[in-house]
This record gives sequence, structure tokens and C-alpha cells, in this order.
Amino acid sequence: MDKNIYVTGIGIISAIGDNVAETLDSVRKQKSGIGSLDNIETRHKNDIPVGEVKHTNAELSKLLGFSPETKITRTTLLGIVAAKEAMESAGIKDVKEFRTGLISANSVGGMAMTEMYYKDFLNPEKKGDFVDYILNHDCGDSTEAIANVLGIKDHISTISTACSSSANSIMLGARLIKNNIVDRVIVGGTDSLSKFTINGFMTLMILDKEKCKPFDAERKGLNLGEGAGFIVLESEKAAAGKEILCELSGYGNANDAYHQTASSPTGEGAYLAMEKAFKVSGLKPADIDYINAHGTGTGVNDLSEGTAIERLFGNKVPAISSTKAFTGHTLGACGGIEAVLSVLAIKYNMVYPNLNLVHQMSELTFTPVKELSTDKPINHVLSNSFGFGGNSSALIFSRH
Amino acid sequence: MNNYITAVCAIKNGKVMINDKVDFTNNAAGSDVDFLKSVYLHYQVSYPKFYKMDSLCKLAMVASELLIKTNKITERYKSEDIAIVIANSGSSLEVDTEHQKAISDKVNYFPSPAVFVYTLPNILIGEIAIRNKIKGENTFFIFDKFDAEFMSSYVNSLLNSNKEECCITGWVEFYDNNYEAFLITVEKNKEGNLNITNTKEELTKLYINQAQLAAS
Repeated sequence: MDKNIYVTGIGIISAIGDNVAETLDSVRKQKSGIGSLDNIETRHKNDIPVGEVKHTNAELSKLLGFSPETKITRTTLLGIVAAKEAMESAGIKDVKEFRTGLISANSVGGMAMTEMYYKDFLNPEKKGDFVDYILNHDCGDSTEAIANVLGIKDHISTISTACSSSANSIMLGARLIKNNIVDRVIVGGTDSLSKFTINGFMTLMILDKEKCKPFDAERKGLNLGEGAGFIVLESEKAAAGKEILCELSGYGNANDAYHQTASSPTGEGAYLAMEKAFKVSGLKPADIDYINAHGTGTGVNDLSEGTAIERLFGNKVPAISSTKAFTGHTLGACGGIEAVLSVLAIKYNMVYPNLNLVHQMSELTFTPVKELSTDKPINHVLSNSFGFGGNSSALIFSRH
Repeated sequence: MNNYITAVCAIKNGKVMINDKVDFTNNAAGSDVDFLKSVYLHYQVSYPKFYKMDSLCKLAMVASELLIKTNKITERYKSEDIAIVIANSGSSLEVDTEHQKAISDKVNYFPSPAVFVYTLPNILIGEIAIRNKIKGENTFFIFDKFDAEFMSSYVNSLLNSNKEECCITGWVEFYDNNYEAFLITVEKNKEGNLNITNTKEELTKLYINQAQLAAS
């Protein structure tokens, strides 16, 4: 069971770039992707900034070499872009060479298309091939579609646990390798913006009308985002002879068992998840060089997460930041996107700035990193993802 | 290493089945939600939050309640040592539709936070966790249909790696006049009323058996 899990490939698309190279360029220039909402017609268009991928669905189809007429949902398109890049960067040419799996997470499925044609679906007078989109509504449909494009057949799963979905898919992937069910697995998640989530988060009143300010005393809420992030996990056998980006050394999940949408004041779920991840990795909190926090920018999350981190790290909290002010909160995809950023943090000894942070939270003793740092070795990164329903996950990535 | 299915509770077709016996039947309910309410009242479950939940959570809540009542896992294990792993195929489609209607209604536009919060399938795990203070590992899978092979091997791996001592697992679906709950507890030792080895074959048998009871 104590097998090492190697990370050999990464792929990402979000508001800060269509691929790893563009993402690196944006973070190095400390350029946020938060801005206007252009691709969705909603009454809230001018009320809130978002982290949107600046391509229409037709443009994304073109980028992938599909006909612009192809009926593919935005969630799937984003997922294919990132999963393909991850697979290519891992140098996987023949998918049949090893038992290969795909675990993709998402929370909205094909909602962006369903809501566009919702009234037409219900109108018997309306005829047309838009009806095909009904088949793409399920959360599992995008996983099947991505697997089809990549030619993956050995194991396909979809996880939907709100904002920790992708972190949980990474955890499941590691277990499939450890239990000798697959030799390598592409893990992560994808989610697109939709009126469904924009309206929902509006009613919860946790959207900041300005750019979000994670861990700031005057934070007002989160900015929604969209995108996809995937990493390739391989067993020792499958990774032999390859460039190993880092290892996935720890993972843990727990339930906060407190409230459906609000985290507990003590951050119980977060604390237990991080504690389990340390147990799996055999590392101690003092070994961590950088924490990529969940840090959504809501009043409740940042306080709860910060409290849990202080419970675990005491007054020795390492460099910490939230990258949500770059990408927005990409919900089911955030664990995948932040896993890619964690891998890059190790590769380039990088700590990302926690953008828009001005006022120190009085409840917390630590201050997140405000400027990009590249001068300290980053050997172990802790990445947190917490979701509605109390689902809390933590991953640890370590230098190989 | 063998693990054991120690209890089962299934709700389907106007029937509640506990540990292989039909325990309650009500074919007179006006709707599926009315039926769930009658189950809640019949078993004197005292948890008023039930009334605020969407249908999927109502179903998961009563099924988990009756399951836990039979073998008292929350009294026997620490809150961090109980996992919850549940799957379905339709995610939260029933309440998604309700939220979608509120958004697309130009006249009565009023999306409600009380509805939106239920538009994620793992919220039902959250409800079980909050109700019983269960803090172990929890995850929600989307599958075409109940996958006994995956569910049994996933849960066995969870218990055998000593991450958790006990797991509530199964299938909970509620969509468009079609509801089904099939929840079991899996433990490392033969602690319950059933004590069936948690393998793909035994789990499939149990699942089919419950469906047959429901249809009888």
C-alpha cells in the first residue's frame, strides 16, 4: 500500500490562461483574471465581476479542432482542454500501454447549456438539434466525453462534492494506484460559469461586487470563476524514465458536520482533513513550505480555515496565500486548478501573492504573502479545498 | 481482509425495508414527499429540519436515521471514524429544476437561497453528518446505476487502510416520481444484525433482494 504517487503531467485553463505557459506568465506578472462577464446573458451581468475564460464555446471548439457546430457543453470543452494538456505534458502517447483511468469532478454539469435551452426543451412546438443538449446535462456526461477524446477506458469516475470535488478526485486517483487498480490516472475537475450558480450565490449573498480580497479584514465575499485543472498521477512502473514533477504525498478528507453552507468557527472539518493528510504523508506541519489556501474571500471561510491552520501550525504558519483572486472560485474545478498551481510552486520555487490583501484580520496572527516570491525552496505544498455540505479536503505535494 | 455489511435500510415503492424485512408500507400517500413525511411520522423521527429539506435529503435523512437506529454506530464509534460514501445517477436534478424555474420565470423571478443550497448531491451527506455529528471521510459519486463492484471495493479499501472504522454507504435517488434509498453500514467486525461479507457478489444480492421486497 505504501507506494509513491508521481505527478508527471499538468493541464490548466482558467481566467488567467488557456494553458500552463499562459498561467505561469499571468502569475509572474501578478495579473488577475477577474473582470467582466461576457459570455452569459444574465440580469446580474453588471453587478458582479467574475473569473471568466475569455473564449466563446465556438472558439473553444475551434481551439480543440472540433467543428463549431459540435454539441459539446462548456464544462466538457474546458475539461478537454486541460485534460489533454495534462496528458500531453506527461508524454502519454499510447494510452493502452498502461491501465489508465480518468476521474473528473464537477458541480454544474451541462447546466450552462440546459439553462440556455430550458424553455425550448419544454416547448413541444420547438424542434431542432438543441435537444441533444439534454443528454449532456448529467455531471457524468462531461467525464465520459473527456475520456472518449483521450481514449481512456480502464476506469472512469465522476465525483460531485461541491467545491472539494476536484481534490477528492485526486485523492481517489491516488488510491486507485495504491490498490493496483490502475497504473496511471488523470485526475482533476472542470466547471463552467452558469446563470444557475450566479443566481444561487447571489441569493446566498456571498458574492463580492468588487474583486475578492481573501484573508482581508474587509473581505466581502467571493468572485465566481470557471475553468479546469488536471494532473496525471502515475505509479513507479508507469512513470519510469519520465520527468517527475513532484509526488502526491498526502491526502485527507473529513466532514465539518456543522452547517450546509457555512464552515464551523473552529474549522473542525478543515483541521481533521489536514491532520489526515499529514498522517498519510508522514510529514509534520513544520515541513510545509507553502499553503495554497482554499481562501474564498467569504467572511466565514477565511476565518474558519485560518483558525484551523493556526490550530495545526501554531505560531509557525508557513508562507500562505489564496489564488482565488487570480482565477475566481471555480467551484468543482478549484481543487484541480490549485493542484496544478501547487505543482508549479514546487517546480519553480514559487509562492503566489494573495492579491488585493490590505487589512490584517484581527482574529488571525499570520499574514498571507502579498508579493510573488521565487527565492525560497518550496519542497512541500499543502493545498486545501472545502465544499458545501461540510466536505473538507487537504492534499500535500512534495518534491521528488 | 473481510468487512461486513451489518445493517441495511431501503426505501422504495411505498415501503420501508429494514434488515431484509418490510417494516412499513404506505401506498395511500398522495405524493412521494407525502410518503416520506408518513415515514418520518411513523418512526417518530424528531428532527424538524426535515421539513426544510429538499426531497432527496428527506429521503436520505429518514433512511440513514432508521439505519443508524438499528445498530447504533454513532454510539459505538468516534465521530471521525465513520465515513459516508453515497452515489446516485441524477445528482440533485429534482431541486435543480425548481431553482432553474425560479431563474427563468420573468414574472415571479425569485431564486431562493433555501432551494439553491440543495442543488448539490453531497448536501445529503452533509445533512446526515450534521444530524449525527459524523466527521469521517465523505464523498459522493455519480454513476449510471448502482455499481456494487466499485462501491464494495472502495469501502473495503477505506476500512482496510485503517482510515475509517465504519462506513455508511449506498444509493439515494429522487427524481420525477422515482425514488430509491438503499443504505447499509459496513464494519470491520460482525457487529450487527446481518453480517454479510462486503463483496461485489453479496452486495449485488442484497441490493436485488431489497428491490424484490419493494416490488412484492
